[in-house]
Amino acid sequence: MEEKQKTFKPLDPLLHSELRLAVMSILIGVDEADFVYIKSQTGATAGNLSVQIDKLSAAWYIEVEKTFRGKKTCTICRITDKGRNAFAEYVETLKQYLQIPKG
Amino acid sequence: METKNLSTENSLKIIAETMERSRMTIAKNSGRPLILWGCLVAVTSVIIYFLWSKTGSPVWNLLWFAMSIIGFICTILMSKNSEKAPKNEVSRILGKTWMWFGIFTTGFYLMIWVAYFIMRTCNPDAAIRVDLTLIITLMMGLCGVISGVVMKMKSVVACLVFATAVSVLVALLVNGPAQILVFAVLGVLGLVVPGFILQGKVRNNQQAA
Repeated sequence: MEEKQKTFKPLDPLLHSELRLAVMSILIGVDEADFVYIKSQTGATAGNLSVQIDKLSAAWYIEVEKTFRGKKTCTICRITDKGRNAFAEYVETLKQYLQIPKG
Repeated sequence: METKNLSTENSLKIIAETMERSRMTIAKNSGRPLILWGCLVAVTSVIIYFLWSKTGSPVWNLLWFAMSIIGFICTILMSKNSEKAPKNEVSRILGKTWMWFGIFTTGFYLMIWVAYFIMRTCNPDAAIRVDLTLIITLMMGLCGVISGVVMKMKSVVACLVFATAVSVLVALLVNGPAQILVFAVLGVLGLVVPGFILQGKVRNNQQAA
């Protein structure tokens, strides 16, 4: 098994974390999502989510826009092309690990 | 949800579950308008049927425009009160499909009037015979089936196909005010029932999560 795994590509450490992966899974399927929606979908605390979003944003996997909705501030996140490619590559690598045939 | 590292199986599970949960939240926002518009269509068609039968005048069909305005206002109010969900490809296709259905039916109705006045100007005895109910029934059925297909809900597609088939059959066999009742059938079977199917599926999904 170990011998076999040596041929596999390593999983992207930035995505191989429960919350960051969940955030990316949400953003891959929508145009954009605000912080409140992501928080409700992941069930994460605001502080933890904020830290993970900053990490994804720093790697340019997502872009974050701070705006106003009425008088309230609103943080909108959307996936970038780099993030989309990284997510696709991550899923492909996972499939290799799990030996799921393509198609 | 924590930031712990994962096994490969758990990673795939998180991806699948999160995507499905998000898809269902977006689908939930599509179920309520279906129920609202289905009820409006059914009630309006019954009202028009009674008024048309009593007075003998098809002018009561103008109530469809009043229904559109009421439905539009209710949809906006409903979207303000519902859980905010982002837009995705599915919600965009659904929105645009039904928006274009509205534009086509309204435009079609207006074109008939324009053609009617042009023909009457040339020949006072001219008459246009268009089975408006049949055409709108087909368009409504098609838009409903597209909605079911993009939402990946076979039960909704089956419901719409059955409702459209029954409505088309009735529209072909019945004439006069009674023909308008096909919209009551289509409204209930084609919009209200799929709306409840959608809501039920979302509820089950949320309970399972």
